[in-house]
Amino acid sequence: MTDIQADLARPLSVARAPAAARQRGTFTVVPWLYLAPALCLLMMWTYVPLVEAFQLSFYQWNMLPTSPQRHVGLTNYQRLFALPEMRAALWNTLFYILGLFPMSVIIPLFVAIWTQDLEGRARTIYRALIFVPMIVAPVVAAILWRWLLNEDQGLVTLGLETVGLGRIGFLTDPKYALATLTWITGWKLIGFSTLLFSAANAGINPSYIEAARIDGASRWGIIRDIRLPLLSPTILLLSMMTILFGAQWSFAYINVLTNGGPLKSTTNIFYLLWEYGFQTMSAGWSSAAGMIAFAGFAVIAAGCMWLTKRFAVYDN
Amino acid sequence: MTIDVSHGSASLACAGTKSGKTRRFAVHTVMILLSFLSIFPIYWMIVTSLRPENEIFSTSLWPSNPSLENYIFVLTRIPMIGLLINTTIVSAATALLQVVTGLFAAYALVRWRMRLSGVIHGLIALSWLVPFQVTMIPNYVLASRLGLLDTLTGLIVPNAAHAFAILLLYNAMRSFPTEILEAARIDGARSWKILWQIVVPNMGAPIASLSIIAFISAWNEYFWPLLLSRKPENSVVQIGLQMFMTQEGNLWGPLMAAAALASLPILIIYLVLQRHVIESFMKSGIR
Repeated sequence: MTDIQADLARPLSVARAPAAARQRGTFTVVPWLYLAPALCLLMMWTYVPLVEAFQLSFYQWNMLPTSPQRHVGLTNYQRLFALPEMRAALWNTLFYILGLFPMSVIIPLFVAIWTQDLEGRARTIYRALIFVPMIVAPVVAAILWRWLLNEDQGLVTLGLETVGLGRIGFLTDPKYALATLTWITGWKLIGFSTLLFSAANAGINPSYIEAARIDGASRWGIIRDIRLPLLSPTILLLSMMTILFGAQWSFAYINVLTNGGPLKSTTNIFYLLWEYGFQTMSAGWSSAAGMIAFAGFAVIAAGCMWLTKRFAVYDN
Repeated sequence: MTIDVSHGSASLACAGTKSGKTRRFAVHTVMILLSFLSIFPIYWMIVTSLRPENEIFSTSLWPSNPSLENYIFVLTRIPMIGLLINTTIVSAATALLQVVTGLFAAYALVRWRMRLSGVIHGLIALSWLVPFQVTMIPNYVLASRLGLLDTLTGLIVPNAAHAFAILLLYNAMRSFPTEILEAARIDGARSWKILWQIVVPNMGAPIASLSIIAFISAWNEYFWPLLLSRKPENSVVQIGLQMFMTQEGNLWGPLMAAAALASLPILIIYLVLQRHVIESFMKSGIR
């Protein structure tokens, strides 16, 4: 279709100025020169490595440049599927994602609706404060919570002791470590999600709410039938972000705080990739696990986009 | 009709009465709780960093005699100043390069209608979905082949173009009136001149947003430096912090001082540009 437009424009521009004609001569080269830096970098650091990782997943290699890569076919994949480690990591990944939902979607959604009439100075101050965790570096967040949750002298531990709950090994007890890391990941998101929902909620046309109120709709009825459907694009966007990136966000916390332990209880699929690659130096396994993760998340991403198209309500 | 109206005003009138006041109180309680949760860990970091050693386990909300000894300890123990300078260089260069490569690519996609532009657009957007952990081994091998291990260049170059940057500028540029571009073209202006003299001066807001987000993301980046860095003096502050924690993990005062120093530049940017930072992040979603 765009070609037709170009053809239509041609006689005009030729008649108008020779400069335009000269420019049409470079028509195909110039845009590629502008695209070149970005495309080359993306090819070099994302797409070619992706293909190479796919190839590596059929080889056995210990990452030393001098040692040979041995073709092993599908063995890497078969081994991985048989490993209980891999299954545990996949379950943990699911736990991270599900555990993040209350903090990245559900609580922010209801806080945003509940606090919608806040105005003026108070609103500005709350906004400024709850956004802060978003810009705190993951390593710093990890260290802050490591101190607060420290088993001997952490403030939370001391607080629990005065209430009479005793000490909890937030990061050392396999029962709690995964939940603790999920909490730290969510801590960074909860305020930001609330702000996103508030903005979307404030954008809802007030005449809908007024009309429903005049028709005698209850407060909950207005939320259920007007606000939630009109907030659905934001709900779906944040859900998709949580599903696709949630497990990746937790990487820094796992690496800094637990190294995947205790007893592998906090190892998720992305941490497993790193362990296989840079701790046990088995590039083949890491790549194969990476391909499984990538394929899985690609399917989920496609599903999410389909859901967004199908269920999101837009107010046109 | 009259009944409906009175019903509406009745519910409005309620807002000023007792139930309205309780609700207001509840709203503020929720927001104060959320604010406290967000800010207290950072407050506690600063308070702990100011406590002298014999007071470190105190639970008072402010140190009885604040001191800077923890900061001095950190500055003598690890090359903190060098790390901060390195991180500033890496973050500023990454932000600048992302803006430039993003501007070029977005300009090409907006100004020329190419047969392949749909494919290119898709290719750019999809690169966002490739988890870095999947491509890390080939990336590492490539970096070591290019001699980029343990260098600042190695930290910058792989992040010099990002799908997010290109798409943000592309969306901003698409709303730029094509008549102006067309008029300039007919006047015989070269595409290079149009980009710098007409497009860029009108893209101040999106470029500023992108620079803020790219700088903060680069500052907080942890994974790629973790793979690439060997010596702390060639690395960024996040790695320095992690190394310090591994070595001196239970010296809480100095550890909090190091964490405070590592976040200070970002917190200063936030204090100065607060509204812009929030709006940049909100408009462009999560990175």
